Amino acid sequence: MSSDPSGAEEPPVLEQGDSIVARRPFFSGPAGKIFIIWFLMTTVGVLIGIFAPHHLLPTLLSTEGTDVWRTMVLFTILAAPVAAFVYAVAAYSLIGWRHRGNQDEPPEDGPPLRGNSTVTAIWLGVSSVLVLVLLAWGLAVYSAESVSPPHSLQIDVTGQQWVWTFSYPGTGVETRSLVLPINRPVQFNVTSVDVTHGFWPVDLGVQVDANPGVVTVIRATPDKLGKFTVRCSQLCGLYHSFMYAPGSVVTAAQFSQWLQSEGASTTTAQATALVKQ
Amino acid sequence: MVDVAAEVPAGPTGPGDATRRVRRGPLGFAITLVIALAVFAGVGLLFHAQTYSSPVGTQVATKVGTSTVNGVAMQHVSLHFNTYPDASGSVNGVPIHPGGNQSWPSYGPTNQYQVPAHALVTVTIRQYDSGGSLNNPWFDKVRGTVGGTARINGKVVTSINPNNVGHTFTVRGTPGTDPGFFLNVPLPLVPGDSQADNGKYETIVFSFVSGDKGLYAWNCEFPCGTSIAGFGGPMNAFGYMSGFVHVV
Amino acid sequence: MTTDLTRPLLLEDTPIGPTAGGFYRRQNVYTGLAAGILLGFVGWLISNAMLEGSNWGTDMVVTVTMVGWVIGFNLGVGTFNAPLRWMLGHDQTYEDELYAAGVGQGRKRYYKFCTDHKVVGTQYLVLVVVLFAIGGTLAMMMRTQLITPHTDFLSANAYNAIVSIHGMCMIIATIIMVTGPFTNFVMPIMIGAKDMAFPRLNAMSFWVVVSAIPPLLATFVLGGVDAGWTTYAPLSVQAPPAMDAFAITMIVFVISVTVSGVNSIVTVLTMRAKGMTLGRLPIFTWASLVGAALSIYAMPALLIAFTSMITDRVVGTSFFVAGQGGTGWLWENAFWIFGHPEVYIILIPPVGAMLEVASTFARKPLFGYKVTIAAFVAVAALSIMVWAHHMFTTGWAPELAGPFMVTTEIISIPTGIIFLCLIGTLWKGRIWTRLPMYFVYLFLWNFIIGGVTGIYLSDTPADEFFHGDMFVTAHFHYTLLGGAMIAATAGLCYWFPKITGKMLNERIGKTAFWIIAIGIQVTYFGMFWEGFEGMPRRVAFYDPIFQHANDMATVGAYMLMLGWIVLLYAGINSLRHGPVAPANPWHSKTLEWKVPTPVPLVNFLVDPVVTSDPYGYGEPEPVGPLIIPPPHPDRELVPNLSSDNPLAKDDG
Repeated sequence: MSSDPSGAEEPPVLEQGDSIVARRPFFSGPAGKIFIIWFLMTTVGVLIGIFAPHHLLPTLLSTEGTDVWRTMVLFTILAAPVAAFVYAVAAYSLIGWRHRGNQDEPPEDGPPLRGNSTVTAIWLGVSSVLVLVLLAWGLAVYSAESVSPPHSLQIDVTGQQWVWTFSYPGTGVETRSLVLPINRPVQFNVTSVDVTHGFWPVDLGVQVDANPGVVTVIRATPDKLGKFTVRCSQLCGLYHSFMYAPGSVVTAAQFSQWLQSEGASTTTAQATALVKQ
Repeated sequence: MVDVAAEVPAGPTGPGDATRRVRRGPLGFAITLVIALAVFAGVGLLFHAQTYSSPVGTQVATKVGTSTVNGVAMQHVSLHFNTYPDASGSVNGVPIHPGGNQSWPSYGPTNQYQVPAHALVTVTIRQYDSGGSLNNPWFDKVRGTVGGTARINGKVVTSINPNNVGHTFTVRGTPGTDPGFFLNVPLPLVPGDSQADNGKYETIVFSFVSGDKGLYAWNCEFPCGTSIAGFGGPMNAFGYMSGFVHVV
Repeated sequence: MTTDLTRPLLLEDTPIGPTAGGFYRRQNVYTGLAAGILLGFVGWLISNAMLEGSNWGTDMVVTVTMVGWVIGFNLGVGTFNAPLRWMLGHDQTYEDELYAAGVGQGRKRYYKFCTDHKVVGTQYLVLVVVLFAIGGTLAMMMRTQLITPHTDFLSANAYNAIVSIHGMCMIIATIIMVTGPFTNFVMPIMIGAKDMAFPRLNAMSFWVVVSAIPPLLATFVLGGVDAGWTTYAPLSVQAPPAMDAFAITMIVFVISVTVSGVNSIVTVLTMRAKGMTLGRLPIFTWASLVGAALSIYAMPALLIAFTSMITDRVVGTSFFVAGQGGTGWLWENAFWIFGHPEVYIILIPPVGAMLEVASTFARKPLFGYKVTIAAFVAVAALSIMVWAHHMFTTGWAPELAGPFMVTTEIISIPTGIIFLCLIGTLWKGRIWTRLPMYFVYLFLWNFIIGGVTGIYLSDTPADEFFHGDMFVTAHFHYTLLGGAMIAATAGLCYWFPKITGKMLNERIGKTAFWIIAIGIQVTYFGMFWEGFEGMPRRVAFYDPIFQHANDMATVGAYMLMLGWIVLLYAGINSLRHGPVAPANPWHSKTLEWKVPTPVPLVNFLVDPVVTSDPYGYGEPEPVGPLIIPPPHPDRELVPNLSSDNPLAKDDG
């Protein structure tokens, strides 16, 4: 394998540097220009990672929703350098290595670089490390979300074509709107009476399918007051578009009042809403 | 050693001519584009006129006068429609879905209703169909009407037996249109062993206050269709057991 | 009698006119249509008579009618001629074989059962374009419906039906978009073979998939499939009779893909020219091989799933019905055990084609040839263990979310190797920016975006927000349209001169490229935006808060439509008026460019002997594939069979 002197200052691809070329200033050679493009693109990517999820996602009302936002930020920042490197090489190849002149005939052949085990090893190593970081983060977040703390508020969710109903066990309250007290872990026990639906309280950042015949479980801890929408995320027939329910996160006192307004007795309402944690 | 390619005479023109020779370009392209758009428009119209979109018109609510609900004066209008055991309209002889499935139960004579915003709407439904049990007994209660009640054959009720349901009339705002709006009125069955065309009916009357302007979707929540949960066939074909309320 | 097609074709072998045999020499697509309609009608009559008043009647009638159509069409077009004649005690004569290969039939052979792999490849190419046109039209229906939150254009029924058929039409088209045209036309020549290993099975794979398309379109008049292309049970058990036709389409399609996969594998393993070792195979051949092997693994799952679906619907089994021993999760598992490998069945062959383009137009050897092959194999192997990442939010086996997150994220390592191979090939190349290379760069841009967004979705907690919303839609369109389909377009522009004999008009082509490139970004960034805001997939009416994002996606979609129409026009214009292509316009080193254009019936007038891999750019000659001089003076008498290619008609 022969090495082309013009790009010898890029350590990953060429095995041996060429002393003549190595004296050239770094930023005037291909490696330097690629580095500049890479740096700019990485910066853009990191900025996108920091700002885009914040502006694009709805206001997420639960700790799980905040985790989604954090994951987006982290993953974008981690992916930005890799994506930027690929883009930078591609962009530079169009700037610096493009065949100019008569496009009807092919240019001379390029250097016969058939591979480079060092570069491949570095590439494999870096991508493996990145994947490990992503996995560690994802698994940690997931396992933290998979446990129902004691005193979780239980809510039975029933999906059917094309209405959601929510029942608060022990209170006799069964409604079409989902009202949750703030700072209280909620466990949704979700099922369906006909076909598969997707229970998705959008702004809580969690979802699980409602399957006929079984109960699936999802948890969330609302930590901000506000209104949200429950949508159906699984195509469920004719009125899938219209299968939604209004939801809101309220204070414990308001929640108790709401339960009473929906027909629960004062005692059960207060017992359900005002649990000591 | 001979490269076969070298033996074959190259084409009369080199590859570079591809960038130079465009004959009849603009006209040919215009024809291609017109044909493509025509196909697109044709297919679109075909789908727009699909038989499984509703074939019937819109019933505009009749003005009754003005009424006061909870101290607020508002326009009072009325709607009248029926639920039939089959779509041939055999009860009153008018086919509801001329090109559709005649054996399916259906609302009639139309499935699209138009009412003014923030008005008192009194609905009268004649229910001609038989029935059975709800999938979810939550729908046996009257919800969202004035006073939470309906009059069934003159009798004021707040709920009916969940095992004696013919259909339900269940309306909700579409996403973005008055999300809190919800109306559910269970319609009791006509006693009988089948979807009998015996001309007997139940009369259900209720009033509700219409919401903001926009599109509201209604459907039936009684499993009167085919297949596993009774939601196949007419339940999932627009226009039989589903429709829109246009609030203007 | 021997049926050796490899002996030199001499003038006395031709012509074999259409009148030289019995009925089966008159068969073509029209007899297929007639027989299909006839047998479909017979099936309709029989099933109606037998099942009058039965509870499952309509589903049975649709199923039997569609099966009748498929069998009738294939009988009529001649798919089963040779086996039927064997059963009747007749062997295929040499003349029969020549006739089946289309000798002396001019452009008529494109309308009939033809065993010539180049004819099959061309037929596939036309079919793929037609399928993309259908799927694209349906996509534009959807985007038109979504112009405003409550557009009165399509009913919810029609919208759901269009969603489903757009999805499956595009999936069918993308699965065959490279393995059909290019693996059939190019791959045998690449490895120095005279045809595919099983030419009749090859032709069968095409005509079988043709017979699968009418049932797919018939779903629109049978009530519409309202369950999406994934047809999740039990919604699909509840769906109108259209679902039966849909299932028949899928079962028939599985047969086609499996047959064609076996054929590709056997061809690569047994039909290579002398000296074409596995280590010298062009990367596209490797990609086809891996894709075919993966389809052999994945397709049976789909076959079983749809067969069970039909029995659930027609005879009342309950594989997918809750409360009767079944569960929708069974469907979801079976579907995705097919469905995730399927993504790579779609992706790997175009990526191989794209790497051929990259090497040729960077004028450099492929970077990391063996590592790339290893990456293909690793992707394929891992892809059979990741299916449940489509089910993170279904509630099925929550404790498996972790393991499936691991396998899913690990698959990004071999996928990254493919990027390394691509940028390593570009590295210090002499980038020749002809039209195919444009699409290579577009692939690179899009597939990075598709890949990075895929990483978000592989993370279970993040997926619990994004699953089932438009973010997912945007992600897989970036990978499958922006990635696979653009890579396949690079391959199309690259092999267009070899397949059609005409040079593609690059001025129009580049116009199309820019419209498509920008259209993709606008459309799918619009959909990402919708997804971030929380708009569910497959909704005909949406919350007005999503209006602006939908505006963006709709504008982009119209751009995309325009772009593809311009590209289609570039192809048609070049076919009619384009300059005749030389044998090797790109000065490429793979074998298909060493044979004349149009390619003769047996591809190689003399047997090629390969002495190196085809990536010897910048290396001293002679290293490329070499061909021994013709031994026989009669070679000029070989009929130039492809000169009357209807696609290459030159009216100027």
